[in-house]
Amino acid sequence: MNATTGGAGARRLSGWRRHEFAGWLFLTPAIAYLLFAFALPIVYNVMLSFEQTSPATIAHFTAPYAGLANYRFILHDPTSRAAIVHTFEFTAGSLIGQFVIGFALALLFSLRFPGKTLARSLIIVPWLLPLIVTGVIFRFMFQAEGGAVNQLLMDVGLAHHPIQWLNDPHLAMWTVLVANIWLGVPFFTLLLYSALQDVPVEVKEAALIDGAGPWQRLRLVIVPIILPVIEVTLLLGFVFTVKVFDLVIGVTGGGPANATQLITTWSYNLSFQVFSFGEGAALNNVLLVLALICSPLYLLLSRGQLRRSSGAEA
Amino acid sequence: MTSLQKSRARRWLCTLAAVAALVIMLFPVYSIIVGSFESTETLFSGTFYWLPHAATLDNYRTVLQGASGSTQETVTGAQSGNVLTSLIVGLGTALLALLVAVPAAYALSKYRLRVTVVVVSSLLVAQIVPSIVLATSLFIVFHWMHLLNSYLGLVIADGTYAIPFAILVLRAFFFSLPNELMYAARVDGASELQTFRLIVIPLARSAVITVAVFAFLAGWGDFIFALTMLNGTGIEPITLGIYSYLGNFSTDWGAVMASGVFAMVPAGVMLVVAQRYIAAGLTAGSVKG
Repeated sequence: MNATTGGAGARRLSGWRRHEFAGWLFLTPAIAYLLFAFALPIVYNVMLSFEQTSPATIAHFTAPYAGLANYRFILHDPTSRAAIVHTFEFTAGSLIGQFVIGFALALLFSLRFPGKTLARSLIIVPWLLPLIVTGVIFRFMFQAEGGAVNQLLMDVGLAHHPIQWLNDPHLAMWTVLVANIWLGVPFFTLLLYSALQDVPVEVKEAALIDGAGPWQRLRLVIVPIILPVIEVTLLLGFVFTVKVFDLVIGVTGGGPANATQLITTWSYNLSFQVFSFGEGAALNNVLLVLALICSPLYLLLSRGQLRRSSGAEA
Repeated sequence: MTSLQKSRARRWLCTLAAVAALVIMLFPVYSIIVGSFESTETLFSGTFYWLPHAATLDNYRTVLQGASGSTQETVTGAQSGNVLTSLIVGLGTALLALLVAVPAAYALSKYRLRVTVVVVSSLLVAQIVPSIVLATSLFIVFHWMHLLNSYLGLVIADGTYAIPFAILVLRAFFFSLPNELMYAARVDGASELQTFRLIVIPLARSAVITVAVFAFLAGWGDFIFALTMLNGTGIEPITLGIYSYLGNFSTDWGAVMASGVFAMVPAGVMLVVAQRYIAAGLTAGSVKG
């Protein structure tokens, strides 16, 4: 009697072991990939930023220790400093524009009107295009001569001579900003729209009965309910925007006179145009810190995904 | 006006607003399509024509046959080979993403492993890491491993866009599968691998397609890894081909437009064929509390 229960217990134990082993087996390729494609480059990037690199050292994987020289360079290089400032301006401007327009469109789509479904499915088109294509389209549209934007402004009489959107350093930043806002609006629209769908009808009706006007309903009832989604959307928007690269290369290439140079584009320039990988890596780390500052907040907001970790078991 | 008429008028007003928004959101796409049919003379005339003006297929011919560019110092290459390269890279990225992500998502949702919280947190953080950071390091690592200028290297790098996203989306889907399915399979004597292969994968078909579509588009549209890891002597995807037409002083607009249209084709096809999966992926990508 004892022997049989003991045997069954042992078999169950070995079954559990086999079960756990299978789980590890399924997970191994992903862990290997994360280590190779994320952990290794991040660690190596930190190493590079403390090295005295040159085109010759690339082949050797390591280079002489350089102390803080690369960071000192970043601190004193006017273009690097400008790129950091531009990144902040670009990110703040994009988020404001994307949120305001995206929220307005989300509210529009939460009303009932003919053609709504088709409109909602077409609005995501900008999202699916390769970013470099979006970039060159905006370069084409904002050309001084033969660009659609100047053509429109002159056709309706708002401008009498072509505006130098891409050649004027101040206007170029606005042009890049417009392109990025255009790119991000569908994302904001879709996320905020699905949040608005989740607002209970009873709540909206109750506010209506209490005599709240449209603006009051929005500010006092709807926004507080969807606030968590607004936070997540802005956070994801921030993360997407600080790493924008292709779009700016497509529209301006960082010019004119580095007026639209962001951390990403200038880092590319340092590493791959002048082959100062150490300096590029130091600038990369500034960007990485900037992007990762939000990661605790990001993890906090996605705690739902993490909490489920201990739930299921096959 | 009766209230019925009023509400009907309001609805059409909404339609009008939506049409205005769509015109702005879709005009850039329209402008590149129109531009791709314009002759070089029209494109450099200094006037933008709202409708095609003297439409021609010359740009497509140039792009497909690789005629020598008149404004470029280098011979502009044929994009037809580049389209094939982009297809291979896109499919390779989708394949890699599925091979890594499907089993991982299954393990992270249906097994009680000690590392689950750590791995899921790492995936969330990995989505934040800017590609330029990875590209700088991977360039040297790949140089050392002889993976530059190769499909394998490019696909591994492009996987960084797709794999964390794929695992998180698939994991959310696997949570919706009842555990009883797995119990039943085990009672019937199926091994862990058989359960995964014969029960779980077939049920996950729609989530797998969603993930594959997004991974394909990520590989197809990648520019930064192609720019940093390919030196122009070997393979060249279409995104890099478009970039090479942008000169410092003059741009071969006809060629840029026509190759841009080619580069938009998969997105268009996916939007028509896989609309359902795209909508699912777009919302699944976001964090849900």
